[in-house]
Amino acid sequence: MLSQLVFGAELAYGTMLYYLVLFLVLVLLIKVFAWKPINKMLNERTQQIVSDIDSAKQKHQEADSLAKQRQDELNKSHDEASTIITNAKQAGQKQQEQIVSDAQSDAQTIKDNAHKSIEQERQDVLANTKNDVANLSIEIASKIIQKELKANDQKALIDSYIEGLGKQNESR
Amino acid sequence: MNDKISTFFLGGLTFNIGNMVAATVAAAIVLVIVVWLSRNLQVRPTSKKQAVLESIIDFSNTTTRGSMSDSDAASFKLYGFVLFVLIFVSNQLGLMLQVDVNGVTYVKSPTADPMFTMTLALFTIALSHYAGVKKLGFGGYFKNTYLEPFVFWFPLALFEEFSNFLTLGLRLFGVIYAGEILLKLVGGLAFSNGIVTIIGLAPIELIWQAFSIFLGAIQAYVFVTLTSVYINGKISAE
Repeated sequence: MLSQLVFGAELAYGTMLYYLVLFLVLVLLIKVFAWKPINKMLNERTQQIVSDIDSAKQKHQEADSLAKQRQDELNKSHDEASTIITNAKQAGQKQQEQIVSDAQSDAQTIKDNAHKSIEQERQDVLANTKNDVANLSIEIASKIIQKELKANDQKALIDSYIEGLGKQNESR
Repeated sequence: MNDKISTFFLGGLTFNIGNMVAATVAAAIVLVIVVWLSRNLQVRPTSKKQAVLESIIDFSNTTTRGSMSDSDAASFKLYGFVLFVLIFVSNQLGLMLQVDVNGVTYVKSPTADPMFTMTLALFTIALSHYAGVKKLGFGGYFKNTYLEPFVFWFPLALFEEFSNFLTLGLRLFGVIYAGEILLKLVGGLAFSNGIVTIIGLAPIELIWQAFSIFLGAIQAYVFVTLTSVYINGKISAE
């Protein structure tokens, strides 16, 4: 028999049929019980990796924008702070100048008033003195007219008048 | 190999019970191992068995893909995986366990039976032709397979298809069958003359077993690689 010579045994076609069925059943069983869960798991893994990469990218962008926003806000608050300080300085400067100028004008007013009152007093004193001198002259003139004066007497007379003047001034 | 075999006839077909039992045992071992490994799969693997399973699948997928494009290879990955694991387990089975009952071997390497390897070869060749027709249409498939590079190449191409089928199956059968024959010869010799030959031949048996494990793994890889090559030859127009 040819098959006996080639393969060392008679070819058992029934066994071959059995092998075919056995192999098909094995493939089917492995497909149902192992291959499908494996593929499902592998697909899930692929999806998870993809979504992880996507979400990481998104988080990265968010972090970038947040950092930028924070930097902007920091710069803005820096600007605001310097504006506030500048404003405060200006206000302080203004107030200082105001106070100084007020003080100066007050001092000027006080000085002016003092000058005025001194002038007034001087005028008053002058006027009084004028009156006094006029009165005195009138008195002196009336005394001279009333009495002839001698040289010696005149001395005593004048002294007495001057004394009288002093008393008058004191009494005033 | 025992000369004695147990067979029965049904509908004019010969059934070899010993080989059928061996193939069923191998298939059952494959099924149990793969299904056990694929329990409780995690997206983020934590268990060692998942790592083992993923390594095997990764290896078989890479081998099946060969020079095919990803989309072409996708539908053959399951076939390549089952083929690789089944042939690997079948090759190793006979090295570890041989069960004889009344002189008939019931548990051995099913790949030491030519019908088993030829059945697998038939599957691969049939699948490659089917894939060729599906991809290129019947006209394109016929032209690509039989009329390239010249029209008068037809007889050679026809012969090539037949020889592909034969060599694919017989290579695997030859390697495993010869391995088992030699194992049995050395084993028989070891037990022939008492303790002296047992001790003397144990290292030789050990070395040959180790080499057979290596050969079994290599042959499983070669079978899947050739499957990929044949399918690729049918679906890609040259």
